[in-house]
Amino acid sequence: MSIPNGLLDESADDLFETAPCGYLTTALDGSILRVNRTFEELTGRKRAELLGTRFQDLLTPGGRIYHETHYAPLLRMQGSVREIAIEIVRSDGSNVPAFVNAVVRHDNAGQPRVIRTTVFDATDRRRYEQELLKARRREHEVALELQRGLLAGALREGEGIEIGVAYRPAERGLEVGGDWYDAFWLEEGETLAIVVGDVVGRGLGAAATMGQLRSALRALASTGFEPGPLLEALSEFARRHSVGQMATLAYAELDVRLGCMRYACAGHPPPAIVEPGGAAWFASDGRSPPLDAYNFWSDRPEGACQLSAEAIVVLYTDGLIERRNRPVQAGLDELLAKLDRLRDEASDTVASSLANEATGTTSQPDDVCVLALRLGPRA
Amino acid sequence: MSALERNNVTVHGAPDGRPMMFAHGFGCDQSMWRFVWPAFSDEHRVVLFDYVGYGGSDAAAFDKHRYSSLAGYASDVLEICDVLDLDDVVFVGHSVSAMIGVLAATARPERFARLVLVGPSPRYLDDEGYVGGFTEEDIAGLLESLESNYLGWSSEVAPVIMGNPDRPELGEELTNSFCRTDPEIAAAFARATFLADNREDLELVRVPSLVLQCSDDAIAPLAVGEYVHDRLPGSRFVLLSATGHCPNLSAPHETIAAIKEFLAE
Repeated sequence: MSIPNGLLDESADDLFETAPCGYLTTALDGSILRVNRTFEELTGRKRAELLGTRFQDLLTPGGRIYHETHYAPLLRMQGSVREIAIEIVRSDGSNVPAFVNAVVRHDNAGQPRVIRTTVFDATDRRRYEQELLKARRREHEVALELQRGLLAGALREGEGIEIGVAYRPAERGLEVGGDWYDAFWLEEGETLAIVVGDVVGRGLGAAATMGQLRSALRALASTGFEPGPLLEALSEFARRHSVGQMATLAYAELDVRLGCMRYACAGHPPPAIVEPGGAAWFASDGRSPPLDAYNFWSDRPEGACQLSAEAIVVLYTDGLIERRNRPVQAGLDELLAKLDRLRDEASDTVASSLANEATGTTSQPDDVCVLALRLGPRA
Repeated sequence: MSALERNNVTVHGAPDGRPMMFAHGFGCDQSMWRFVWPAFSDEHRVVLFDYVGYGGSDAAAFDKHRYSSLAGYASDVLEICDVLDLDDVVFVGHSVSAMIGVLAATARPERFARLVLVGPSPRYLDDEGYVGGFTEEDIAGLLESLESNYLGWSSEVAPVIMGNPDRPELGEELTNSFCRTDPEIAAAFARATFLADNREDLELVRVPSLVLQCSDDAIAPLAVGEYVHDRLPGSRFVLLSATGHCPNLSAPHETIAAIKEFLAE
């Protein structure tokens, strides 16, 4: 390729002064030794004012802390930093968002001598990032709102019963989880349905899925399906409409006057029960795989048991019993032991104490949802 | 999980030497001490570690509640001392770790022999009759900086950073690794650090201490270092000619000499 005469008649000085980025050389302590015209224009500060000033003193106070705690140490340790986002304070007091790259130059003996820094105006890029951050927060809020809306409407009290719920989203991440619960009368004052479930995934999608499953379950339960067939029908609903594949749930119907409970669990840990005067136990019949888990699965058994007056039934999600570095069985044993201790507490306290103990220890990787139902005294 | 894995504890030097624990400050990891600790490894059992979320620690052990105050970080320090059964410890804390050391030594004085506080500040925010150097607005600005600087952290590399034994080579390629952390964890540590007020804890310290103050430190100004010295019973104060906030990196020789002199007393 031939270059027309004179086209590259650029002096080093010109390349430096009018480079399409702010360009500066500083001493190791950040004092500015040399600066180009582009940087003068970017900051609105004259060269005479800039020389001798420390680069970090041109940053916002928060940016200065960031400089001292991240930027400067990184530069020392790895000899360069890239794509650091900071804000530079201009002479008129306004801030310019900037991206900064810097390298340490060494002398022949390998001793660090000066720092070369380039500064790019990132006003538009930062605006775009702010938009993205805002959108992410908004999605989180919408999902939370949706989740709250969907969980609302569950029965919290009624004649002859007392229901406590504790709902604790996982500690980390912006997305909402897929745990859900519900409680409603099948026959007012006589038969109560309670359910706790967990759908796969997180965020808006998970919130929408649990909403659909919850509505489908309410609809099916009200048409007279018993627990086993109800889970079969719900699984068929999941398969047919591609919603909630591999979702798990524990469902129970209680005759609150007679204490008779029928229940079924789809891939979900068993209901825990404690009755006055007895040790806590698991209702471990009625087990089948998660919803829409296997094409060939159809039969979903159910369990039944007779509960004493003032018994407590606890449904929960696996976040309550699963911990890293601990077998699930240990979590189940611990749940029974805790339930034994909490037997005399109000159901609100039972639910929140169980959830708090689970979330109060170190890492809580999963959401935790606990529903505790206490039957009233027999009439 | 043991505190040794959780905090990526590394032990060097003389196994029977007097234990010397180096604690990194807010921002980066134990490699902040890389130019300093080797000078002590002949005589000391040198213990280094990362706070949860930093360096090679187990970020999954991060607990929002525990690490929302400096007491949680001090508990990590004490748990490491317990697991290694360290007594007569010389604790060297940089930046916020100076106060974490104060809290640890106050809670369990029997474990500690001496405290070396490098660039300490018991409170970063200004208060009536006290100049910490920062306002709440400044700290909000720092949180924004943390939010806009992922330093190599993204959901894509997060699994690698949190320990992916199948692809160890990935770890080497990542830049900015010394200061890389989950932005959420960084924000929690920033809040715990810069909103803390440990002024009342200073006079509870019962072990000899050294305040190492840099000249012209934007994070912990001279007046703050002097405040710490005034209130720490029987403390020693050394003003380094090093500038900035990280003499352990920028002036390791001066830092080493000052610590050695203090230990020789």
